[in-house]
Amino acid sequence: MRTTSMVTPLPIPKKPKISSFITQSEIQSEFSHHDPAVARINNGSFGCCPASIIEAQQIWQLKFLRQPDHFYVNELKKGILRSRTIIKDLVHAEHVDEISIVDNATTAAAIVLQQTAWAFKEGKFEKGDVAVMLHYAYGSVKKSIEAYVSRSGGKVIEVQLPFPVNSNDEIISEFRRALERGKADGKRVRLAVIDHITSMPCVVIPVKELVQICREEGVDQVFVDAAHGIGCTDVNMKEIGADFYTSNLHKWLFCPPSIAFLYCRKSAKSSDLHHPVVSHEYGNGLAVESAWIGTRDYSAQLVVPSVLEFVNNRFEGGIEGIKKRNHDTVVEMGEMLAKAWETHLGSPPYMCASMIMVGLPACLGINSESDTMKLRAHFRENFGVEVPLYYRAPKDGEVGSVTGYARISHQVYNKVNDYDKFRDAVSQLVGNRFTCTLLSK
Amino acid sequence: MEEDPRNGKATHHHYHHPHTPKKPRLIQFISEPEIRQEFSHHQSGVARINNGSFGSCPGSVLDAQKKWQLRFLQQPDDFCFNTLKKGILESRTVIKNLINADNVDDVSLVDNATTAAAIVLQHIGRQFAEGKFQKNDTVIMFHCAYQAVKKSIQAYVTPVGGSVIQVQLPFPVNSNEEIIREFRKGLERGKANGGRVRLAILDHITSMPSVVIPVCELIKICREECVDQVFVDGAHAIGSVLVDVKEIGADFYVSNLYKWFFSPPSVAFLYCGNSGIKCDVHHPVVSHEYGNGLPTESAWVGARDYSPQLVVPSILEFVNRFEGGIQGIMERNHDQVVKMGKMLAESWGTNLGSPPEMCASMIMVGLPARLCVTSEDDAIRLRSHLRVYHGIEVPVYYQAMKKGDSGPKDKDGCITGYVRISHQVYNTAEDYFKLRDAINQLLEDHNVCKMLPLEQKRYVYSLFYAFSCEIFCTKHQHLFHPFLSFFVLSFTTESSRKFVGSLRFHIKTRVICSLVTKK
Repeated sequence: MRTTSMVTPLPIPKKPKISSFITQSEIQSEFSHHDPAVARINNGSFGCCPASIIEAQQIWQLKFLRQPDHFYVNELKKGILRSRTIIKDLVHAEHVDEISIVDNATTAAAIVLQQTAWAFKEGKFEKGDVAVMLHYAYGSVKKSIEAYVSRSGGKVIEVQLPFPVNSNDEIISEFRRALERGKADGKRVRLAVIDHITSMPCVVIPVKELVQICREEGVDQVFVDAAHGIGCTDVNMKEIGADFYTSNLHKWLFCPPSIAFLYCRKSAKSSDLHHPVVSHEYGNGLAVESAWIGTRDYSAQLVVPSVLEFVNNRFEGGIEGIKKRNHDTVVEMGEMLAKAWETHLGSPPYMCASMIMVGLPACLGINSESDTMKLRAHFRENFGVEVPLYYRAPKDGEVGSVTGYARISHQVYNKVNDYDKFRDAVSQLVGNRFTCTLLSK
Repeated sequence: MEEDPRNGKATHHHYHHPHTPKKPRLIQFISEPEIRQEFSHHQSGVARINNGSFGSCPGSVLDAQKKWQLRFLQQPDDFCFNTLKKGILESRTVIKNLINADNVDDVSLVDNATTAAAIVLQHIGRQFAEGKFQKNDTVIMFHCAYQAVKKSIQAYVTPVGGSVIQVQLPFPVNSNEEIIREFRKGLERGKANGGRVRLAILDHITSMPSVVIPVCELIKICREECVDQVFVDGAHAIGSVLVDVKEIGADFYVSNLYKWFFSPPSVAFLYCGNSGIKCDVHHPVVSHEYGNGLPTESAWVGARDYSPQLVVPSILEFVNRFEGGIQGIMERNHDQVVKMGKMLAESWGTNLGSPPEMCASMIMVGLPARLCVTSEDDAIRLRSHLRVYHGIEVPVYYQAMKKGDSGPKDKDGCITGYVRISHQVYNTAEDYFKLRDAINQLLEDHNVCKMLPLEQKRYVYSLFYAFSCEIFCTKHQHLFHPFLSFFVLSFTTESSRKFVGSLRFHIKTRVICSLVTKK
């Protein structure tokens, strides 16, 4: 017998003996690669990945490097199917065929919008038919709509959302108004792109209700961009009822960069979706196409089982427990900051998940987006605080209003000290009569 | 191979680089043990002679990559604001110098050649859809163009009215003229019904069968014949042949860095030299940077791991530890693969698929006719068999017999199967001896491809043989239980499955039974 044909088993990471849930010090250890000098209260942008998952990822990477042909023939497809199956259960999809894995929500948007563009090009949609999106849709998604929809002859309508916002009703009524505008002149609304949680400013949108309205008003397709969804808010495909739904797993579900899922409800139209990077598997369904887009590192897509194990075995209540604790703490911290600065929250707690918008003192003089970029860099470089800032233009007649908001987040690695650090930084600036005009260009 | 001189031979025109970057004065070059160490993560015991498919990445570059990954994880916002763009620009600059491009703005980094093909073909598709190209305009390519590229044409060009002309690549091939002739014929067909040839897709080195294509000459012809745009798919090129984009003169040129240029999976560069065209070329994954030029768009396609794109400077450091740098590596790979190819062809009594000057670091070697490679299925079986039972990784190619029986022959018949062997710095002569001996062993055992099981069917064969053994063994129950346990294990552990499979081939059933009866 030739031993050379046998694959030497790789070391499996030792499962810790769990007599109780993960402790604070174990959590700090899992995230010890985070820069200790930084109050990291921007989990929303890039997420985080615990050391055990990074290790699991490295094992997959090594498997490929050892014998890539063997890996490709015998391991890759199985591994991705396993990940897709876990995601399908997590999000309550009907069938694993509905779940494709892609790099990120940006890629998912390109997939959905490309399909819309084809429909315009092929005459299925008329020139001037409408795509509706939120004014606060993510910058990349807006560009994607411009590249694929406007360029093919579609018209884009933005839903103006109030901010600060006080209730779901405010959002619902603006959305209805936008749909009316879309249907004016006998045109059809072909696509609605709805954020589950907007990025900036950050608000949880009542997607279930909006999808319902779309169905009532004859909107062809609904695409929910839930970049921040999974691990942050409730993600239930059956309940939400959208045609397409995407969420990043590297933001709030502890995956390494980067991985997202794109859910496509089984229907006649779903066969029109293709991954824009076309490879051998073209025509075999989006999930199969996405699982092979040429040679690359698929390890981030393969660690999903390890992530679920980590989350469910080590944290009380699993992902649900984490979500709840994140929400409760971020609201508590937000209220603490708003009180300290004598400002307010950007939305009521029930319209937040693991992030919340907190008004910054008006005296800081935030008068433009450029000011927020500079101030953010200032906090990063001089105070060791990483937090994204948002500029809200004052309405007509408003004087001395809050024009800047911080989007704070809470994830398992955060400590109260992170928020105290931020509170004190702002208070110090206020005390020193700092304004944004002092920041160099 | 240990004895081979480290002096590169600058005999091959593929390797003469007019702009060799000045190499540091090294006290000594990388040693054999150091090379072993750099590739110690490769599975031992496997003769890895398929560098072409997935490439290879040395330990030092993997370490450099981990450092970049860690920097991102430590403080991702700071990384994306302050480090990422600079790092990618540095990588693009290294590439620009390597390929003799004029302007770093002409160089974008993407995941792989497959992504680059989507970019180019989406651009062409848009021209058709927006009426700039007409319905009887064509795209011309070789019949053996990479499958993903063909599918990309199917996705982006044919639905909007473009048609495709396929040029038959002669194989085995004897000279560049044979290819040029076929290509000219293809161009004529493209212009036959009054249409224009809007895009020519030329492989710099075809994948299967693998041959170096005379791209400079073909592009000259394209320009003479008013082909609008030329896209060179050089997936295998960089690190394998000289890539001088000015000399080649294509509008688009792509090459993977992870195949022959030691990058981790995965990164490729896409060169777009034609200023008239490149303003409307976009990355299909649209992000904030849409409209800011392809290099900038490609440098941000959403949050992801950009570390393979950032290690390019570290790769250059690595290759410069070899005498002659990347040029030296290319020359030595070429010399060795030709030498090994000739050794195999001689041992098997077969042929090479092309003359040495039409190869780079890979060469096609004919398989003995007696193996009966009569279909693609046979080729797959043989490849699996070599991987699973002999620890050899080598792609196998099926070449249908030519009409009129004019193809290459050995003493037993027509040669219809080829292996594509590769040579990279980690290979040794033993890798090729192993292949030589495995094929000779198959011939001695009178095995032909159709007798070799596909991996999934191994269970059935194992079951069949185990049962046969059981029947013969019932008189000898003391031997039945060990056999039964092997049989049961064959369904539970991969290694035991392979053992039972091996048993089938290396100990014929009647031998087992005669041993059993003797006892």
